[in-house]
Amino acid sequence: MTAMEFKEFVATNGVRKAAKEVDIVTTGTFGAMCSSGAYFNLGHADPPIKIHRAWMDGIPAYAGLAAVDLYLGATELDESNNILHGGAHVIEDLVKGRAVRLKATAYGTDCYPMKEMDTYVSLKTMNQAVMMNVRNAYQNYAAAANSSGKTLYTYMGKLLPELGNATYSSAGEISPLLNDPYYRTIGVGSRIFLGGGEGFVVWEGTQFNPGVARTPRGVPKRPAGTLAVMGDLNGMSQDFLKGLTFTRYGTSLGVGVGIPIPILDEDLASACAVTNDKIFTAIFDYAEQKRSRSVLKEVSYADLSSGRVTIKGKDVPTSPLSSIYKARQITELLKKRILDGSFVVTEPVQRLPLKKSINTLDVRSEKEAMK
Amino acid sequence: MKTKLVLNFNPEASNLPITHNLIAEYGLLVNILRAEIDEIGGKMVIEVSGDDDSTNKGVEYLKKAGVGVRPFKEGVRRNDEICTHCGVCVSICPTSALILDHETRKVTFVEEKCVACGVCIDACPPRAMEILI
Ligand code: SF4
Ligand code: SF4
Repeated sequence: MTAMEFKEFVATNGVRKAAKEVDIVTTGTFGAMCSSGAYFNLGHADPPIKIHRAWMDGIPAYAGLAAVDLYLGATELDESNNILHGGAHVIEDLVKGRAVRLKATAYGTDCYPMKEMDTYVSLKTMNQAVMMNVRNAYQNYAAAANSSGKTLYTYMGKLLPELGNATYSSAGEISPLLNDPYYRTIGVGSRIFLGGGEGFVVWEGTQFNPGVARTPRGVPKRPAGTLAVMGDLNGMSQDFLKGLTFTRYGTSLGVGVGIPIPILDEDLASACAVTNDKIFTAIFDYAEQKRSRSVLKEVSYADLSSGRVTIKGKDVPTSPLSSIYKARQITELLKKRILDGSFVVTEPVQRLPLKKSINTLDVRSEKEAMK
Repeated sequence: MKTKLVLNFNPEASNLPITHNLIAEYGLLVNILRAEIDEIGGKMVIEVSGDDDSTNKGVEYLKKAGVGVRPFKEGVRRNDEICTHCGVCVSICPTSALILDHETRKVTFVEEKCVACGVCIDACPPRAMEILI
């Protein structure tokens, strides 16, 4: 069943019946996921080249791995900082089947004499093209508004002045980690729907922070768990992978992630029954340019998705940043693939940590850094 | 009847009192939705209200005066292949021309309500909204 169907099923039949009769619930999300990228093995040149610097369609790719392995990050921009076309857009182009211009320079060694190359590559010419995202599928996320007098351009979208709008990012009740709040079924080794193709959860995501305040039913009220995921770019589709531009901020990759949750018992059934009115987050004031911004209002996803919230007595229209429409499509597709046997649900081989806190980056001495 | 038009001017036409003439000579009500005029000419989006006959005559007058007239349909477009229905644009659009359907969670572009202000163009992450005027 999809997450939407499951919630309705529980509402009419109760948790006990749901736990008994439903095997798997499919969850999904589609949104801007920074900390995404892809690595490539280009194959060896003749004479061989040990790439020192590389550009894919003008976007610098990291070459400090070996001779012809590159990593291209979604938020990377060219030297002119053109935010309409970043690493994310190059990855989208590759998935669309397009060829990408590769420029490479090297210092030349006895075993890798070639010093320069200018050519084209595509998924067909590469040995590996693998999406490797170190932080995706945030379990809950902050919402944003702007109390200042001028428009702000942020990774939370365009924020109009004087609380002119509010944006939020999580897919809410159908988002994977909000349905399995204590990571009982989603862990290292879980097979997932990734960008239209398949992939795996390979580790906890960066900034994994499970210790935030939770509701009595365990749902985090702030950004909490995250996932590191990887999967073959071959097999992914432009419908679920999109280069995005946030004006005056930069680029990001819109990624579709879908995760099946096996209903192990009544606890998990009741966790998966969670609805938007029971999931909370806070609207932060992005007018404050500091690490911890003040909370304008605590809200539920039911409030946010109604299209309007009241902040400080003002009626404020809201916008989601992630596409619930696409997230639902993902839950449907994943369900179909599980039913026809083309997607096999796996058990995780290692659980994600439940205890872990996050550190901050501060100016410190060498000694302080080692304490 | 209300008609939305996109006007393009060369520098000479910029100096003509065209809105005045549309109002005075053709009895049309003119609502200026957007205007950008500089030394190399300009663009304007107007909404004219009046009967068909006067509207047509008004358009004829504009064309004769050297003003490029195009129906608004060609002004602002959404590329449906690119739109992800994320909804970023819905709280930004001042005239609620972009609406999120709470059932299907799809975003609809209601052209009739659009005033070509351009606010949504750089707010749309995959750049699905296009302004061609
Ligand atoms: S912001 Fe762009 S992609 Fe998102 S719903 Fe609006 S038009 Fe579609
Ligand atoms: S151009 Fe302005 S009025 Fe038209 S859809 Fe965009 S924001 Fe709305």
